[in-house]
Amino acid sequence: MRHLAPLQGALEAYCRRSLHDPNSLRDVLQSAIANAYRDFHLYVEGTNFRAWIFRYTHLEMLNCNRKFARTRHEELPADLSVEDVWQLALDEPLFKVLLDDPDAVLDQCGAALAQAVREMASLERAVLLLQAIGEFKYREIAEILQVPIGTVMSTLARSRVRLRQRLVQCGEELGLLRPGQTRGEP
Amino acid sequence: MNCNEARHHWNLYHDSEGDAELHFQISEHLAGCADCAEWFSQQSRLESILAEKLNSQPPTPELWNEVLTRTGLVQPAAARRWLWFAGVAACAAVIVVAVLLNWNPSPPPPSPDLAKLTAARHERLVAGEEIPQFESRSDLEVEGYLRKRVSFPVRCPPRKDAGFAVQGAGVCQLAEQPAAYLSGRVDDAPVSIFVLPRDSLAAFPHQRDALRKEKTHRCREGQYAMVLGVIDRNAVLVIGQTDPERLEKVLSAYGTYPDHH
Repeated sequence: MRHLAPLQGALEAYCRRSLHDPNSLRDVLQSAIANAYRDFHLYVEGTNFRAWIFRYTHLEMLNCNRKFARTRHEELPADLSVEDVWQLALDEPLFKVLLDDPDAVLDQCGAALAQAVREMASLERAVLLLQAIGEFKYREIAEILQVPIGTVMSTLARSRVRLRQRLVQCGEELGLLRPGQTRGEP
Repeated sequence: MNCNEARHHWNLYHDSEGDAELHFQISEHLAGCADCAEWFSQQSRLESILAEKLNSQPPTPELWNEVLTRTGLVQPAAARRWLWFAGVAACAAVIVVAVLLNWNPSPPPPSPDLAKLTAARHERLVAGEEIPQFESRSDLEVEGYLRKRVSFPVRCPPRKDAGFAVQGAGVCQLAEQPAAYLSGRVDDAPVSIFVLPRDSLAAFPHQRDALRKEKTHRCREGQYAMVLGVIDRNAVLVIGQTDPERLEKVLSAYGTYPDHH
């Protein structure tokens, strides 16, 4: 319990942002905690409990999403190099406007942001959220997701670009971003 | 390092990843390139705001209270409050009674009886008034279902061992203690198996004391026979309207096969 209490907010936020079916939040957390408690004898005191409990939560969340969308074929898009994705963002004039004043867009695009995260491929979403919410290092994320650290790096870069692109799109749709717009200009 | 190279490594720089040499080179570039310095700063600011937005919701106490209660890690809040009020009320009542009757202590309230509680639930299952939360005739599926819902290990004896044909399973609370149950038949007789963490026996003094005296405790509740034993970290109770020998065989089977049969 003393290990778990400080992590409740992050675990809940991770599940809320990841689950396709929001009604499953309670069941996923319950199963994850029950499984972790069952295997607690395998946990070595003094090692990384945060990563340990997040791994259980991540696996439960994956199971739940798989059950919810058995027929949905979720696949990572074709692999892009890190250079390509950043170049793509840099070429967007609207993105520069977003960078100048992100608060205006983020204040009004919360729903679009949440949807963009939910629509990401599961690995992209997991890497992004483990970094943003769990504040894990790349090595820890690699351990939690059982993927190479290079995959974590490229996937994180890609997911960040996707999120920025969605924000630009939302800002443009709401008339908050226009090419050539300067800071503070309505 | 040129601007493209520096910006290409923004993720590593922002996340304090990568080697010290790379960070040094980027820092050197930023010191001499105002455009990149501003770009890095803006990217990092946007990323910080995004992380804050993604993590903006505080934990929900009600949700966690329920999750931790269901997994058996904490006692239900309602029970804690009830215990507190009950304690205060009981103390007050004792004082009042002692004063009025010049100390005439009354017997303590009856403690929960595991036999009564399990018999009542078994009867509801048999009568169809309660449907198992998970219905399956596969012992492996039932085990898989329960493992995800309770924090203590639960098994389902294979039919070949003791003739227990499982039909369903679920989780419940018995005197506010987390429990799992398996519902099935031995030949034609409905039989249920209730499984609780061994520590839960503290809530049932009668059964706890009985198990201190004998390894397997047999008793009857109304029309039902039951056998109770401690197996590993669990208290296991088998109940049914059948010969206690057959129930004991199921109890023995529960504890004598490996987890991955």
